[in-house]
Amino acid sequence: MKMLFKGSEAIAEAAVRSGCRLYFGYPITPQSELTEYMSRRLPEVDGTFLQAESEVATVNMMYGASCTGKRVMTSTSSPGFSLMMEGVSYMAGAELPAVFINVVRGGPGLGDIQPAQSDYFQATKGGGHGDYRMIVLAPHTIQEAVDLMNLAFDLADKYRMLVTILADGMLGQMMEPVEFPKMRDPNDVPKKDWALTGASDHDPRKVTSFDIDPYELEKMNLRYQATYKKVEENEVRYEEFNTEEADIIVVAYGTMARIVKTTIHMAEREGIKVGLFRPITLWPFPYKRLNELSDTVENVLTVEMSYGQMLEDVKLGVNGKANTPFFGRSAGVVPTPTEVLDAVKKAMGR
Amino acid sequence: MNFLNLDARVFIYIGMFGSGKTELAINTAVELKKSAEHVALLDIDVISPYFRSRDQKNALEEKGIKVISPPGALSHADLPIITGQVGGYISNKEYLTVADVGGNEDGATVLGSLKPFLDPVRKKTFFVVNALRPFSTSFNEVVRNVKKISQSGRIKIDYLVNNTNISSETNVEDVERGEKIIAKVSEYLEIPVAFSVAKDGLDFSGKFQVFKLKRYLKNLW
Repeated sequence: MKMLFKGSEAIAEAAVRSGCRLYFGYPITPQSELTEYMSRRLPEVDGTFLQAESEVATVNMMYGASCTGKRVMTSTSSPGFSLMMEGVSYMAGAELPAVFINVVRGGPGLGDIQPAQSDYFQATKGGGHGDYRMIVLAPHTIQEAVDLMNLAFDLADKYRMLVTILADGMLGQMMEPVEFPKMRDPNDVPKKDWALTGASDHDPRKVTSFDIDPYELEKMNLRYQATYKKVEENEVRYEEFNTEEADIIVVAYGTMARIVKTTIHMAEREGIKVGLFRPITLWPFPYKRLNELSDTVENVLTVEMSYGQMLEDVKLGVNGKANTPFFGRSAGVVPTPTEVLDAVKKAMGR
Repeated sequence: MNFLNLDARVFIYIGMFGSGKTELAINTAVELKKSAEHVALLDIDVISPYFRSRDQKNALEEKGIKVISPPGALSHADLPIITGQVGGYISNKEYLTVADVGGNEDGATVLGSLKPFLDPVRKKTFFVVNALRPFSTSFNEVVRNVKKISQSGRIKIDYLVNNTNISSETNVEDVERGEKIIAKVSEYLEIPVAFSVAKDGLDFSGKFQVFKLKRYLKNLW
């Protein structure tokens, strides 16, 4: 049965269905509905909801909870995600699986509460200190956000990595009909032979990001890098829409991709075939496929609700094979389909 | 739907978060404007950060409907702002006034603060139910919501409204599903059902009057 859900609420319900019973968080617009939903829903399924005193506390609660091997998550919006960065780095170093939801709003600083995509660098290029990576998933509909939650937890467990769902305020706040997967048994998740579950029936285990010996620490780092390489080889995801024999390819993710889909129909009426390349994994970025597509067009236009962040990855993918023009608005201003169409025409010299 | 038959000058929409109060309030104001000279829409939603009546301010004012909302850039703030004009438009006898109240108990609390203005006027309060929204899908949940929100708003609910929908994909069975639950709630709480809502283009007739709804809060794409 389909129901009408806000993006934030839908992500919360999908997390519960994926077997997540531990949520720590601190409310912040435009995703407070997610926190509120969890506060009501988790007690119904014998889960634990804990409103932390800050985002700094939240991420460290997640660190502790994840050590037990249970599925754990939080949700926040831009300034809150910044506050979590120290803990994110510690968790990445300790190879702890967890899922973060960042419903991005206008920045930098306090910014505003309107939708934006300007946390792309923070999510995909670090944000915290050290050589670490996070898997970053970018849904463009509420149904897709629901469908990606199971994957987010599975990838986190499989690779012992952090997974971030990078949504924007629009996806967090809008309402759409959704269908949820069946409830998954929270105990029916992959066995974790590293989890701290009491050493009565096995040797003591250690979860840490620390080694005082640089050569030992380097070994740990090499292990992380080997994991990241595997993820890059196996977990790239993207959608192509209308790209075959397109006159121009537009690269966009999240809400921006929704807008481009409307632009595609508008452009069709003017005799321009616009193709959409939509990365679903922002890290690992689909460089290879974008490189192949760059052989087929003169222009690969990047559009973002930020000022040219994903553009840097697009340029790495295109690697000089095509022009890489850019159009973006930020700070909570969402480009209209007409503005994107104008950018398309400008890129094509029309 | 003829609101003028209801012996009221102020029409108040309350209900759970995301139940469709804003669309209903806008549609009601537009409907009233067809036969009344002065119509005001009060955006007293202190809960939702996006998709609010104030976002349609220009379109509605072009139709001659006065929209009362936080002024200027404050309309984007997620601060609980209720301007002084709100009380005035509730009291002003020349106006038919529609109030779009924020969702859940927290949203309804605002009505408590407006009690001195609301008590003396002829008003009807509508409790909006979308039985395909989370925490509103069963008889027990809806009864609980009605009681809780009525308490927080310190206001008597005059009518229930069946606004069961899943947006653009709504079909007749969805609206019927809502009717069944709400009819039971109506009988139990002894609150009549004012109408069922059907989006423009949905051919629906059921147990209650039907209010055809035009969608004003659209996505950008």
